[in-house]
Amino acid sequence: MTSTQPVLLVLLFGSVAAAATALGALPFAGGRRPNLTGIGAAYALAGGAMLGVGYLLMTHGLVRATLSVMLGAGAGVVYTRWIQHYAGVDTLDMRPGREDGADFGYKIILQNTLHSAAEGVAIGVAMAYELALGGYLALALAVHNVGEAMALTDVLRRRGMTAGESAGLAVVTKVAQPLLAIVAFALAPALGGLAPALLGFAAAALVFLALTELVPASYQRLDARRVALLVSTAAGAVVFLHSLVGEGEA
Amino acid sequence: MTAALLVLLAGLLTALATGLGAVPFAWIRETSPRILALTNAIAAGLMLGASFGLIAEGARYGTAQTILGGGVGVAFIVLGERALAGREIPFGELRGAGARKILLILAVMTLHSFAEGVAVGVAFGGGEKLATLITLAIAVHNVPEGLAISAVLRPRGSSVLACAGWSVFSSLPQPLMAVPAFLFVESFRPVLPYGLGFAAGAMVFMVFLELLPDAYENASRTTVGVWVSVTLAAMILFQRFL
Repeated sequence: MTSTQPVLLVLLFGSVAAAATALGALPFAGGRRPNLTGIGAAYALAGGAMLGVGYLLMTHGLVRATLSVMLGAGAGVVYTRWIQHYAGVDTLDMRPGREDGADFGYKIILQNTLHSAAEGVAIGVAMAYELALGGYLALALAVHNVGEAMALTDVLRRRGMTAGESAGLAVVTKVAQPLLAIVAFALAPALGGLAPALLGFAAAALVFLALTELVPASYQRLDARRVALLVSTAAGAVVFLHSLVGEGEA
Repeated sequence: MTAALLVLLAGLLTALATGLGAVPFAWIRETSPRILALTNAIAAGLMLGASFGLIAEGARYGTAQTILGGGVGVAFIVLGERALAGREIPFGELRGAGARKILLILAVMTLHSFAEGVAVGVAFGGGEKLATLITLAIAVHNVPEGLAISAVLRPRGSSVLACAGWSVFSSLPQPLMAVPAFLFVESFRPVLPYGLGFAAGAMVFMVFLELLPDAYENASRTTVGVWVSVTLAAMILFQRFL
């Protein structure tokens, strides 16, 4: 056991989640037009898992210090909202079939890049607190990334890109994920007293992203009953799995 | 038996406090689609916050049992909704899908009070000396739950008094369950995590089945996201400090 191992694990988890993005372009290989119903399910599952991880991050923070967790959470919402607003992605019409506006192409890539950055920070913070917790988050984000890349490739194909080019572009939007995961992981212990605030920040960023991007996108592709079932199952599964291998307190 | 009577009175007081949640709606009369979307988002945040508290409380007795109870809660709503689908059940002036939604939410909120009542009783019986403080805490904690119910009822045409009445009704199981749970703590304690999980699962499922789709329909994703996160955070804070 060397001291570098956990960092490598963070890199591995972050990279696997990012690399999974390429899988989303795979069904389009050779000019095929795949069934896209899975996208909504991927978004709902990932959104639910993000809520579950958000719950765990919050409870981990709340046993330490309530106020700094809540201040961190407030900062997480404000920051995520601010980024979405100034990048202009908060007004993006994500309904299937509405993706043909002139600015849709760059906005969707900007949106994917920006939220993968916030997700990367959340992976790092989660893993700094508990490796397994970060592992679930990375898994949830991998599922999310596959669905997202399918939606992206669907748009880019119609604009004349090949599946291969689209896969490359989809992965590029995720490059920040493993890198920021490592930065957050490395910085978390150094921040010491700020740890509860950091947990709150990561939890709120995840919940806010799920509420503003993943959950609404899944309603646009799936009926409400299926969304509710997938979201609650994924959230419950994360909390349950965590209780099996988690390291101690609730 | 005087102790049991005290628990009953305490439970009744907390049930009445739920009615206070209707008060802010005395000032909200217009019912535009946007107001409906916002009140849905607020109710969603409050119910997610309540579920957060229920799961955290259940996890103290056993996380696996809590989540298992949550699965049963989800299944309960799926089956309940299937049973109600296609039937014409009026709620006051309301009919059809709107009436079904209100009935389901009232059912969920009332059922979750059973679990909360057991939690109150077990807490009283668990050797807690600060009975008054617990009662006060639960009473205050019930106010936002009344707020959630009123946020669903009021924009759909119920009077403020009806909102308050249904809010109190939804909390009546609390005193009813608190007394037996207090008297037979040892037999109730093992069931508690399942009950708390059941309530949380049913609530989370209702939020994503009924409340959020309507909210996104008539308000932007950002507006819904902000209102849900703010009320969710407020609910968590509220439960921690009171």
